[in-house]
Amino acid sequence: MAILGAITQYKLGRSTKQKSIIRISLWILIAIGLALSQTIYEWMFSHSLTQTEPLSLFDVVQITAIVVVFYIANRTRSKIDILEKRVQDLHQELSVRLSDIK
Amino acid sequence: MGSAKTPLRVCVVIPAYNEGSVIGDVVAAITKTFKQTPYYTEVVVINDGSKDNTGIVARKHGATVINHILNSGAGGATATGLSYAQQNDFDIAVTMDGDGQHDPNDVVRGVKEIISNNSDLLIGSRLIDSKGMSRVKVLGNKGLSLITFIIFGISSTDSQSGLRIFSREALENLKWQTSGYEFCSEMLWRAKQQGLTINEYPIKAIYTDYSIKKGQNNWNAINIIKSLLKRRIAELLG
Repeated sequence: MAILGAITQYKLGRSTKQKSIIRISLWILIAIGLALSQTIYEWMFSHSLTQTEPLSLFDVVQITAIVVVFYIANRTRSKIDILEKRVQDLHQELSVRLSDIK
Repeated sequence: MGSAKTPLRVCVVIPAYNEGSVIGDVVAAITKTFKQTPYYTEVVVINDGSKDNTGIVARKHGATVINHILNSGAGGATATGLSYAQQNDFDIAVTMDGDGQHDPNDVVRGVKEIISNNSDLLIGSRLIDSKGMSRVKVLGNKGLSLITFIIFGISSTDSQSGLRIFSREALENLKWQTSGYEFCSEMLWRAKQQGLTINEYPIKAIYTDYSIKKGQNNWNAINIIKSLLKRRIAELLG
């Protein structure tokens, strides 16, 4: 979906070729990572790269902060949606009232 | 709807953005066609922040012009027009494109049809008989109708048609949130949620070099799908 989005933005002239290539490459990398996740995990496991220390207090705080940031982002999105609708309604009403209707 | 004594009041809403070269002919043609009917008609052009003389030309040809201060997109302009129709007590409202792709006779036929079959929302479908439409356009429109069915469960042969006729009940109850071209599908969804009766009737689209040039790029379908999915997911998440 994201790759399709990048191509669309380029085809509609809203993004430069260079930017689009970077975006598409990035998402292809992510897609490869997701597709080969089991292979990558097995390789990491065989090289003892999955054996980590228990989580520190900092790790817990950091993960909690990330979750909170996602929550705030979602709430902000909802508020922006409401605000956008109100601005649209206001614009609509103003346009009707300010137009020199015969 | 209007009694036997008072003529039925019909508001023809034409959202327009930079249509200065054709809007005069569109307004003149629709006004002339409706003059031969018993309806009281007002043609309202929503000048959606055009950079050309769309508003001036439309007014010169007898239309009521509402100037959008900012460009809001087709959905926003249509909402303004229907709000005007509702506030001014019209019995029926019609939306049609400003690029001249709709035949005024199809518009009048639609008004007669909505009265006779008691629908709330009547869609003029270009795809019941798609003769004259390019294969790419047919594919794009059919694809979007399929997506509308998958996301919202609404079956329509032409979910993106700009020619729509609204009953008084639809005018009072139909509200949508998107402001771009995705409003076409969202409007059907909201109508379904409100329990309004949706029907279709066949129309023919007139494609000129101008309307083909002004028409939507098929790639824009991706943006429409993204926006509809976002709207659907946001509704699901509350």
